[in-house]
Amino acid sequence: MVVIIALQFIQPARNKSRQVLPSDISKIYDIPAPVQSVLKNACYDCHSNNTNYPWYSNIQPFGWWLASHIKRGKEELNFSEFGNYSSRRQRSKLFSIEKSIQDGTMPLPPYSLIHKDSRLTKEQKGIIIDWADKIKDSLNKAD
Amino acid sequence: MKKIVFAIAISGITLMACNNSNNKDNATEKMNDSSAHTTAHVSPFTSPVNGILHIYLQMKNAFVNDDDKAAANAGNEMVKALNDFDKSILNDSERKQFEDIADDMKENAEHIAGNAGNIKHQREHFDMLSKDMYDMVKTSAAGETIYVDYCPMYNDNKGATWLSETKEIKNPYLGKEMDTCGSIKEELK
Repeated sequence: MVVIIALQFIQPARNKSRQVLPSDISKIYDIPAPVQSVLKNACYDCHSNNTNYPWYSNIQPFGWWLASHIKRGKEELNFSEFGNYSSRRQRSKLFSIEKSIQDGTMPLPPYSLIHKDSRLTKEQKGIIIDWADKIKDSLNKAD
Repeated sequence: MKKIVFAIAISGITLMACNNSNNKDNATEKMNDSSAHTTAHVSPFTSPVNGILHIYLQMKNAFVNDDDKAAANAGNEMVKALNDFDKSILNDSERKQFEDIADDMKENAEHIAGNAGNIKHQREHFDMLSKDMYDMVKTSAAGETIYVDYCPMYNDNKGATWLSETKEIKNPYLGKEMDTCGSIKEELK
């Protein structure tokens, strides 16, 4: 018990940047409102510089567990820094976004268990895939 | 055969050096010269891009045989080969181009390496990796004949390409069940 209480004093650093970087995906590509809402509710917590922290993040060790997920997530794909990827990597990221949404590997099922807003309907999956496809095509044409 | 490939490799390097010397100062020219000399001692079969290409072909053949573990091993080898690539033989613009392709390749190779047991996911990354490999061979010459094959069925009929060392079609995307699906789209030399 003492250990658990002691643990509460060690809080991981927060992933919360208030500014929107020029490299943010919303600054480079047109994001329709329904797409934006899915990205915000289902992706940005782990794939951007701005996490909307749930209540349990203040309780350790859950906060650390969350922090490690966010770190991994941002390494793989960070929408806040999307513009810093080369167009080749942007294309690969978009391809992976389509695939993981289609296959249901993202959002992570345990995350969706707690975060109701991140459970995507068939229609929502469709709009994300179509949107990613459209940007990918525009990148292909630009080459 | 070895001699011919060797000659192509050398002429390729010389051509690149010539193109670049137009708008570069003497210092860069000297650098290009010395790099041409250092590469000249390396056998073309161990030349870096060729080495990466051969790991790619191993991986391709692993996918033809539905062998996820062999594909993962090739993924690890590819990451290592890309990290070990001697970029000092490249000039600035070549290096930029190489790094652009290699960064993406490395990421795809890592996913293939880390996903033994999930061949479907490995193949998705192999699709992307194949595009990178094509661009890399296209910009640097493979030193041997490589076939660019196309399968129109993979990925819900969106299609995918791959590189092959043989004229015979062996499809790495659909596996053993449909391994003859596809056609030659282009020949790279």
